[in-house]
Amino acid sequence: MFREFAKGLSITLKHLLPGNSTTVDYPKVKLEMSPRFRGLHRLVPTQTREKCVACYLCPTVCPAKCITVESAENEQGEKYPRVYKIDLLRCIFCGYCVEACPVEAIEMSDEYELANYKREDFNFEKERLLR
Amino acid sequence: MVNLTIDGKEVKVGKTATIYEAAKEAGVHIPVLCYAKKLLPYGACRICLVEVEQMKGRLIPSCTTPATEGMVVTTMSDEIRKVRKTVLEFLLVNHVIECPVCDKGGECDLQDLTYEYEVISNRFEGEKFDLPKDEINPLIERNMNRCVLCGKCARVCDEVVGYGSYSFINRGFETKIATAFDRGLNCEFCGQCVSMCPVGAILPRPFKFKARPWQLKEVNSVCGYCGNGCTVTLGTKDNEVQTIRFNDKTGVNDGNLCIRGRFGASYVNSDKRLTSPLIRKNGELVEASWEEALETVATGLRDAGSSTGILSGARLTNEELFLVKGLAKAVGTGNLDHSGGECYKGVTQGLQETLGLQASTATFPQVENAKAILAIRTDFYETHPVFGMVVNQAVKRNDAQLTVIGDKQGKLTRMPHARTLQHKPGLEVNILNAMCRFLLDEGLAKIDGLQGVEELKVALADYSVDAVAAAAGVDAAAIKQTARELATVENAAILLAYGLPYTANSRELGLAAANLSLLTGIAGRAGSGLYLCGEKSNSQGAIDLQILPAAGALGASGMLKAASEGKLKALYVAAEDMLVSYPDKSLVEKALEKTSFVVVQDIFLSETARKADVVLPAASFAEKSGTVTNAERRIQRLNPGIKSPGQAKSDFAIFQALLSALGATAPADEAAAFAELSAATSGYEMVSLDMVGDQGYVWGSDNLAPEMRNLVAVAGGKAIEAKYQLVVGSSLYHSGTTSLHAKGPMAVVAEPYIEFGREDAAELKVVDGDLVKIKAAGGVISAKAKVDRRLPKGVLFAPYHFGALDLNRIYHGQAAIAVEVSK
Repeated sequence: MFREFAKGLSITLKHLLPGNSTTVDYPKVKLEMSPRFRGLHRLVPTQTREKCVACYLCPTVCPAKCITVESAENEQGEKYPRVYKIDLLRCIFCGYCVEACPVEAIEMSDEYELANYKREDFNFEKERLLR
Repeated sequence: MVNLTIDGKEVKVGKTATIYEAAKEAGVHIPVLCYAKKLLPYGACRICLVEVEQMKGRLIPSCTTPATEGMVVTTMSDEIRKVRKTVLEFLLVNHVIECPVCDKGGECDLQDLTYEYEVISNRFEGEKFDLPKDEINPLIERNMNRCVLCGKCARVCDEVVGYGSYSFINRGFETKIATAFDRGLNCEFCGQCVSMCPVGAILPRPFKFKARPWQLKEVNSVCGYCGNGCTVTLGTKDNEVQTIRFNDKTGVNDGNLCIRGRFGASYVNSDKRLTSPLIRKNGELVEASWEEALETVATGLRDAGSSTGILSGARLTNEELFLVKGLAKAVGTGNLDHSGGECYKGVTQGLQETLGLQASTATFPQVENAKAILAIRTDFYETHPVFGMVVNQAVKRNDAQLTVIGDKQGKLTRMPHARTLQHKPGLEVNILNAMCRFLLDEGLAKIDGLQGVEELKVALADYSVDAVAAAAGVDAAAIKQTARELATVENAAILLAYGLPYTANSRELGLAAANLSLLTGIAGRAGSGLYLCGEKSNSQGAIDLQILPAAGALGASGMLKAASEGKLKALYVAAEDMLVSYPDKSLVEKALEKTSFVVVQDIFLSETARKADVVLPAASFAEKSGTVTNAERRIQRLNPGIKSPGQAKSDFAIFQALLSALGATAPADEAAAFAELSAATSGYEMVSLDMVGDQGYVWGSDNLAPEMRNLVAVAGGKAIEAKYQLVVGSSLYHSGTTSLHAKGPMAVVAEPYIEFGREDAAELKVVDGDLVKIKAAGGVISAKAKVDRRLPKGVLFAPYHFGALDLNRIYHGQAAIAVEVSK
């Protein structure tokens, strides 16, 4: 019984040695996110406009009901989102919006530092999401 | 009856049923693209293929194959699935895949089938369509790249609407649906093609990119415009009526709609709606609280007492009209009337004196089986477009002979083999009299049980067919032939619309039409009918509820006359813009000026409301519950889809509050009011609210038997002697004055116009768009000219909807106005 105990402790002690820590020294050091990490949404722009065609699939699929889209017709007669808003306080970062999008106009970036002081600041408008 | 087996289920159906219809009855779903209940079978899409035991070796299109005795049908098998999938693949070869931006996405039949049959790849390759879009007109957008060539639009336009805008052009892969010469769509914009299109090829432009189908809340209600009472389905979102959808499953009139019903509801969202009560203070209308407004109105009415006049519109619900009656009682006045007080007299007096009824004798669908139809006035289609579509179906499917007595041409006169008795203005009664005389002379009249035959014979001495034909400028043989047909065919119908622009000879026309219906046996016979159709959505309800002057009290014209002489102390006007729509504007102006206390209850600050002392903001049809009765006596329920803007209240709530301010009792809600009114209204006694289902409830049953059969002689009119005569009427695109606030109708007809026939236009050197001046007794009006081929020489036409035209300066209720024309 003692042997097993010593074996376990040795693993623990090994981790205490310098260079073996898994703690990241945030914010001085930041982890690289995996490609499938689901962070802040990003609307994909094209040369002239946003790629989004305001088909309303993302607000429909969104389980948290945090996406607001209002479609309209632009000068070329195309459908575009006049309003595209995500309420990040409601968002659960499930990524269904990305999955539902038929034109790959929305993706999730690796940005996760989303803390803020005011509730209003969590309403991300189209202009901010297009960055 | 035919017995057959579908998917193991035994079904019994009528002889004319197809396999598809039989399956539907059995609750078996067969997918379709080109089938529609109200259209004839076509068999274009081949989605509905099924296997029939007796016809082995090939698949059978279920929508075109009649069900026969002993048939054994299988609606799904591996082979059927494969073939249907192949059909979809073929369709998707050229169909542009733009579902994300297509407004049909979510309710698209092709999309649904593609999903159901899991068409995820396509074995065939081909070029996608790249045809230009038709975006010229403001209401219907056509994108032929999405078309699946089911032909429903072409068929509905031809079979139901009778306009014939579309047809297939070209052959093979190049086939497409197009208008004549492939130009932009320019039709009556009823939008029936929009409701038929199974894909996103034909869409309502006002609704473009507004919302997705699944976001809309659907509320079935009744169109607020004319007396057809079509079911409209309000598509609401964000407390706005975003679009009007149709209901061809359970809706009244097969889900058919006209431009007003489909594109004319946007007025309910208008930002010009009244949102707060207004009270005149120091000569200005200023916003006030409901308490103050109601107190002012109650005090004013209490002071005026029996010298109050109450005028109601015919778009209020039955329940509200019941409270209007209660209001008159609480105030202690008998001066109560609706719709100008004259135009409906054909029903309240004409039919009453002859048939003892005050309503149409039959229902609309019965006309489909008529063999002879007589439409009095071509404007019948303009006032009641959807009933006009029923007439069209009778003509096209049942080969009915349509005869039109009219002073001008119109949609009805252009129907297949329609006979037009085009007469000089104001002589409709003479022609009807001549028909009666002909029937009596020839012994064709069914005089058994009729009273007053001898008197009528004597009175009609002057109305021999030849004399009338000569005086009216009509072919005598046509009059005789029409009369003979009406009297001899199994089912026949006589149609007459009434409304504010048709004030002249109202009672006389009702009498003459009723005489003819008695002599031909049409009145009360099952399958035949005499239809007197009101212009507004609840015209019939207003008559049923007797919104009429009490014995010895003043009617609308009497009230206005008394008011103009300063004899009325108060006027209460609900849902009417008298200054625009009533005949004789000068009289109405004077009446409003001389009356010390005027209350107007409306949804807009109308011209009349601007002259009022108190304005009460009311609710539109989309915001209230209650019942309305259409021109075939069908009681239907309104359902609220949105909330009223600001502090506006439903007319029911306003009357309720007013009654309690006056110390009278009012029913607690609409349901209680209906219970009270049905007990008190003749014909409604047995009706309870739960009998009023999706299809409404026709009081007095489908065929209303006359209470009496009394012929009443009636004198005809006299043609006026003037080089140019102006007739007043309704425009197809508008209804009353409300449609002037709706974007759809305004996009098509935005301005008042004076219509000229081609001959007159050539003689006067008037072309489309010229400003013309019309001078007559009462004043001068001017508007842009519109040249068409509807009018005979010497006759001009003006629609009455536009306040800007000031038409009622010269229109005082005449059948025709003698005018002078100058540029």
